[in-house]
Amino acid sequence: MSANIELDVRGVYKNFGGLQALNGVNFSIRGNELIGLIGPNGAGKTTLTNVLDGVYKPSSGEVRLNGRRIDGLPPYEIARRGLGRTFQVTRAFRRMTVMENMLVPAMALHPTARQRDFHAKAMEVLEFLTIEHLTNEYGRSLSGGQQKLLELGRLLMLDPDIIILDEPFAGVHPKLMETIYEYIRTVHEQGKAFIIISHDMDSIFTLSKRLLVLNFGELIADGDPAEVKEDPAVIEAYLGEEEEEGVPAVIPAGRLAEGPALSEAEGPALSEAEGTEEAPDA
Amino acid sequence: MQITGQYLMNLILNGLLIGCIYGLMAMGLTLIFSVLGIVSFAHGEFYMIGGYVVYYLLEVFTDLHPLLAILAAGLVTFLIGIVFERLFLQPMAKGKIERPGEYAILVTFGLAFFLQYLMAGIVGPHSKRADRFFDLPEVDLGWLTATATTLKIWELPFGASRLAAAAIAVLLLLVMIYFIKRTWVGKGLQAVSQDREAAAVIGINPLDMNTLAFGLGTMLAGLSGATLVNVFAWVPWVGVPASSKAFVVIVLGGMGSIPGAMLGGLIIGIVEALGSGLLPDPGRALAYKDGFGLLLFALVLLLKPTGLFGREL
Amino acid sequence: MKRLPLLWILAVGLLILALAAPVLLRNQQYWLFIAIQAYFWAMLASSWALLAGYAGQFSFGHIAFMAIAAYTSGILGRDLGWSPVSGIIAGTLMAGVVGLFIGYLCLRLRRTYLALFTIAFAEIFRLAVNAELDLTGGPMGLYIDYLLDTTSYVPYYYIMLGLLLGSLGFMYWLANSRFGLFFRSIREDEEAAAAMGVHIVRYKIMAFVVTSMIAGLAGAVDHHLIGFIAPTELIIGRMSLVIAMAVIGGVESLLGAALGAIFIHFSLEWLQQIPVPASLMPKLIAMQPTLEKFGLGVGDRGLMTYAWRMVAFGLLLMLTLRFWRNGLIHPIIDRLTRQRARKETVAKRVQAAEVESS
Repeated sequence: MSANIELDVRGVYKNFGGLQALNGVNFSIRGNELIGLIGPNGAGKTTLTNVLDGVYKPSSGEVRLNGRRIDGLPPYEIARRGLGRTFQVTRAFRRMTVMENMLVPAMALHPTARQRDFHAKAMEVLEFLTIEHLTNEYGRSLSGGQQKLLELGRLLMLDPDIIILDEPFAGVHPKLMETIYEYIRTVHEQGKAFIIISHDMDSIFTLSKRLLVLNFGELIADGDPAEVKEDPAVIEAYLGEEEEEGVPAVIPAGRLAEGPALSEAEGPALSEAEGTEEAPDA
Repeated sequence: MQITGQYLMNLILNGLLIGCIYGLMAMGLTLIFSVLGIVSFAHGEFYMIGGYVVYYLLEVFTDLHPLLAILAAGLVTFLIGIVFERLFLQPMAKGKIERPGEYAILVTFGLAFFLQYLMAGIVGPHSKRADRFFDLPEVDLGWLTATATTLKIWELPFGASRLAAAAIAVLLLLVMIYFIKRTWVGKGLQAVSQDREAAAVIGINPLDMNTLAFGLGTMLAGLSGATLVNVFAWVPWVGVPASSKAFVVIVLGGMGSIPGAMLGGLIIGIVEALGSGLLPDPGRALAYKDGFGLLLFALVLLLKPTGLFGREL
Repeated sequence: MKRLPLLWILAVGLLILALAAPVLLRNQQYWLFIAIQAYFWAMLASSWALLAGYAGQFSFGHIAFMAIAAYTSGILGRDLGWSPVSGIIAGTLMAGVVGLFIGYLCLRLRRTYLALFTIAFAEIFRLAVNAELDLTGGPMGLYIDYLLDTTSYVPYYYIMLGLLLGSLGFMYWLANSRFGLFFRSIREDEEAAAAMGVHIVRYKIMAFVVTSMIAGLAGAVDHHLIGFIAPTELIIGRMSLVIAMAVIGGVESLLGAALGAIFIHFSLEWLQQIPVPASLMPKLIAMQPTLEKFGLGVGDRGLMTYAWRMVAFGLLLMLTLRFWRNGLIHPIIDRLTRQRARKETVAKRVQAAEVESS
């Protein structure tokens, strides 16, 4: 909750075996920025998130949060230091109740606190997200949209300085979109920085004040959304061809890509390759 | 005890022989993993059942040719495998099971438990051993001599039964490789192991392939046991070290890799033979025999879980 | 809440039953011994349920920890003259240390690898015990001092019951505390839990250490009662039994697993010889040769089942996994504690809420 947020990403490379997923990424965040991170499928957006979050260690380069290096630290340590993220596929704890979901990060962050100390705060957040009536439901009983909201609420319990949202709008019912927009705006006003990864151009352009464009692991643009939109390099990355007659000079609004990429790198599977993890619920 | 070059050679070659069987068993396990994506914790029990089938067939039908008994063992274990797969594993593939990863481990472990005590109930407390399948012809070529029980190449002795088992194993291995690479069904298996959805789209039913793969896998385990029941004493728990060996082999060679399974088998065979042969205290050496493979296994798991060839588990 | 009293009544009833059992059983040593062993298995099954059902670590090495403590205590008693109590403490600590080590090694192992690795660990341990004759007595086993100087099982009964209740109490406290939340989040989704700040390393290791110590405690005490331990107790079939007990009872429920263990142990005892009415005995005896062909037998009171009772439980284990994933006993407990309200679908409630607010 401070304006003194500093994130520095310097010269980050990440390769998996032969695949170069990140090719020297450099950018910084100062204060509570609201950044959109876009790029074609496979550009490395989720990989970058995983590096920032500690799931991957960069092959080279460094990441500094508020002056201290965080690259190579385990994810739980980075979460404690103020960087939170969501996942492309919602990962609420299915066999725990909504309240329990909310309490996990709170308890993780506050070793000496009791669960009931955070009950009230959790309810507050849940109310804000309009899912307070689900407090005692198990995660798996929630609809997809509700699970997304739960993830967002859970994140708030971590009280991070920087929030990375990975495809928060994917497959979301329009009614829910509003709630998510509200969430982002309100939390942003409270002083937190956001990096939002999305293929939903409408939302990205509506929300973000700064746009980072990733392509083949490199940042090909970084700046004001209106300018970035017209950047030829960016257009080429998305359309795969140079500007020609008849081809729009501006990226059309609406969904460009086919939807969220399921995985952006051929790296070692993060989750088990043992078939579907969860059986779909009725 | 003199450790001569010849002694070492002997150890290594005998290890290789047994390694062929391990490779065969491991091949079954790797086939199951490739197609179903699970590790069967009951693999050793099919090995055990294969041995018992041969034993009882030869007991009852004394004129039966051992090879036929071995084939029968393969058939029995194949059938048991597909029944189990249909009843207990198919629901997993159809998405009806929660937490399928845990389920697969527990249910195959449960099957192992069930089969062990089932055979204990049927066969009773005493160990069994089949009579030697084949007598080698008496031969004396100087550098190569053979008696009924032993073949000697340049004075290095090989048990006839082990040789026969290894020969059968290699033959089966070649048959399996041919089957998988050349036949339509085999290619179906390959397709499903690489990409289930794509295979389904071109008309291969992944569910049937699952069943087939599991049955073939258990069949290979059964055949392994069938060849060795005249070498080792057979009890209902004989499958436990066999399971462990198979696990070691596929982790070593890499899950889902057939050449890896073969190579892993040979390596384990050698490691075991050398380990038990070179340890000074013969009593300890024998007791720890199975331990060398296990230790190697533990190390590989910790250091390089994908093994020599394989893909991520 | 209307339902709570029912649960309390049952719980208190069970407790009274357990406490009064020696009196009720008229001090029949045989049944007291069975009960003690049932409590032993209950400690193993419930601690395994904590490790696997809560923290998601499906370890197959649990029996090894049990034996490590027993052997440590026995050896210290034999070679250094340690008293049984000191031995038990040392044994339990040893189990914890090894648990720490194994937990550490297992940190980066995913589920199937973890299962395989712990199987290897348990097997290597068993082989070592068999091989190191001088230290452990090898296949012949190790004689262990008796804990108490009495021939009656009654004091042992209360000791084991006390340990069971104590460890269940401790584990329940753990499960309902922040640690329980962390364990369960790790089982649910380790990566997401890490992203939420849960110290994965610390809690995975904690799960191993706590549960291996409970298993060790059970093992050390039980074997100071029996007076003997041999490597046959380390075969994988024993681990399967623990798993069967936990799964059939309910792997996500400590009490369920404990009750499952008690139920199965008593059943196994009772099933050893299925009583047959005296009028049918002659028929049974006549069938003896056929029965023996199938590994059955005839005892003085009925049908001897030998290995077949285990077969029955193996089958029950598989069926429970397939059809009653939450176990057989846990759902019963569950029904007594949870509000019925949760059975309503979420949709209904949202509808109700919308109707209210419009």
